[in-house]
Amino acid sequence: MNLNSENLGKSLAEQLLKQSERDAAVTPMDTVLEAARAGNFSGDQCFRLLSRLWTLKRMMYYVYGGWAQGINLNDYPPAVAYLFGKQTHDESTQEMQLSDEILKRRWVRTQKKLFAHPYGRFSTATRTGSYIFCLRALANYPQNVRIAAHNLGPKVIELAWTERIAKFYPDESIHALFQSQLAETRSHVLMGKFQTEKFIHKQVDAELARRLCAETRRDYLFFLEETARFVLGMAEETPGEVAVSADID
Amino acid sequence: MPGLKIAHDKCTECRMCYVVCREIDINAVVVSATSQHFLEIDDRCTYPKCTVCLMYCPAEGSIVESDTGRSMVPPPPEVWTENRRWPRLP
Repeated sequence: MNLNSENLGKSLAEQLLKQSERDAAVTPMDTVLEAARAGNFSGDQCFRLLSRLWTLKRMMYYVYGGWAQGINLNDYPPAVAYLFGKQTHDESTQEMQLSDEILKRRWVRTQKKLFAHPYGRFSTATRTGSYIFCLRALANYPQNVRIAAHNLGPKVIELAWTERIAKFYPDESIHALFQSQLAETRSHVLMGKFQTEKFIHKQVDAELARRLCAETRRDYLFFLEETARFVLGMAEETPGEVAVSADID
Repeated sequence: MPGLKIAHDKCTECRMCYVVCREIDINAVVVSATSQHFLEIDDRCTYPKCTVCLMYCPAEGSIVESDTGRSMVPPPPEVWTENRRWPRLP
């Protein structure tokens, strides 16, 4: 690896991080947090929030399943393969925490019922579906490109709103839940930075990563928009009402 | 009432106890809200009526009786009798 290709990875990582941090400054989840802090948050709304996040987290199995098919342990140093495996495990742990909290509060009696409940059910024609299929489509690209797109895109936004909820959410156990997830989400962002810096050497990969990162960020922000509206009981967005700058072409 | 707890120095975090407890709808094994995310057994555990996690746990000594600290993996013969091997309703 020469100096130029190393610099390419570094400058790309820096650029993607900066763009994602800009998008993360204010997200629809801040409106949810504001409502919770103002005391206008019912148990049902909290149930909606956790269920929708749980739906996304559990769908990550589907995404990572597709991604892992392309993983060849000889392609990358073992440490990176290990980190990716760890990330799959982390997503699963966070999913378990969300469903634990829902079951503990007796919002549903069993996990099976949560799968069928309107709040936790997965529907394809939703922003959740759109985001998940967007991630699943990343399976068509090499591991370095998709990790750059995902871990330096939506993961940066996820980290930002999770940090704010972990800091300010008034309910103690929900606060603890999000607080405990911070270390993992932060490690995913760092892993994205590491992989982008070390394994993106070609201009074409950098261009692909830029484009895919913009797309996944856009779809994740739409997912957050849909979630916030669902939690707060607002009407679904009308076509064109919400604009997210993707700056793709 | 006696209960079970997880000995984290022995536990391999394989999650089998979590899965099986959820499978039979007791849901007493939870992921703690700490940065380590240890598995814990909460007060929904119906031990000694149910011993299903003991059957699936692969790590010797990783589930213990909370009162006595006695290792339950592998299950001692007296908790592994025909009438206690499966969860029983009260």
